[in-house]
Amino acid sequence: MTGSYSREEILAEVAGILADFQGREYSGPIDRETRFFADLGLASIDAVVLGETLQDHYRRPLPFGELMAELGQRVDRDLTIGELADFLARNLGTDRE
Amino acid sequence: MPKLKANGLTFHVQQAGEGPDLILIHGVTGDLSIWFLCKAMTELARTHRVTAFDLRGHGYSDVPSTGYTSLDHAGDVLALMDEIGAPRARIVGHSFGAVIALHTAAIAPERVEALVLSDPYFPALRHLEDLSRWGHWQVFQQEAADAGVSLSSEHWYDLGKFFDQVMHLDGEKLLQFRQAVGLPGLNRLLRLGKTTAGDDSKVEAGLTAEKILAIRQPVLAVYGEFSPFLSTANYLVEHLPHCQSVLIKGAQHRAPEENPEAFTAALKQWIEGLERFSTHEPVGVVS
Repeated sequence: MTGSYSREEILAEVAGILADFQGREYSGPIDRETRFFADLGLASIDAVVLGETLQDHYRRPLPFGELMAELGQRVDRDLTIGELADFLARNLGTDRE
Repeated sequence: MPKLKANGLTFHVQQAGEGPDLILIHGVTGDLSIWFLCKAMTELARTHRVTAFDLRGHGYSDVPSTGYTSLDHAGDVLALMDEIGAPRARIVGHSFGAVIALHTAAIAPERVEALVLSDPYFPALRHLEDLSRWGHWQVFQQEAADAGVSLSSEHWYDLGKFFDQVMHLDGEKLLQFRQAVGLPGLNRLLRLGKTTAGDDSKVEAGLTAEKILAIRQPVLAVYGEFSPFLSTANYLVEHLPHCQSVLIKGAQHRAPEENPEAFTAALKQWIEGLERFSTHEPVGVVS
């Protein structure tokens, strides 16, 4: 996959991938404010696997190691889907010609 | 996601970097994400081929109903080392992962170059510790009590009893419990609760005090400054021939989560200095 992505597109794609992601313990709607851990009931291991899924989806390496390390520094250790979409937009945009 | 077959089971494995082999082992109820969250995975991959895996029963690895002693897990470590083509490795383990790491060195000393033991408590050395001092446990116990689950201090380390109580909660109570104690991935915990992991993690499984004391490899004992297991840390430094200790400032039992920067810095410094290894003096508190 090449080209640029709007934040809305990325958010929709992430929500689509999460909709049938194994490990999920929640079935409500997913939006920018949805929290990965507190709302979706996912664990940090799911974030590792989601990172790989997204790299496969976008067909390029993304610095998920850095994102995970930043998450490890947070007091609540949670991440909103909006923040994840912003991370993707930032890193997918960097490679754009 | 990368999966490897070993010992008849499928394991979720993550690998990064090039260099001498280094294996990362998480604790009971954890998973390999701990090594990403504390940045050890990326930092150590600058100088090593780092392999982290989900223990059997955990994360995205298979969940057999039995076989969860440190000896069973050590067998998995050796089988995975065979699979990745690692004749020898440096092994880092956290909590029960450190017990597994040491057990691996005990049964296959020629395959383990060095050990980093993060806050382990060994069933064979239980007499050293007064576990009622563990503040983290007391907080967890209170939160659980508020959500209707009474966890006995006497059986604080008894995961089997813990699982028994949690598994019998109905949906509403379970949600209340999860919200109170903040456990993500509770379904995985309950899945583990149906195995023998709780009971198996309490037994020596052959890792006697004599076997622990027979370890000759360089060892770094990394403990939280306020770890409930400091007597074990002191015992290891006093009794193992090549054991240094380092205390991680402000941390209790979970230094990789409680002070990830200091934890990973201590790990990296010691591992990268292995070639120069010569002393076994304590190296003090890292801020």
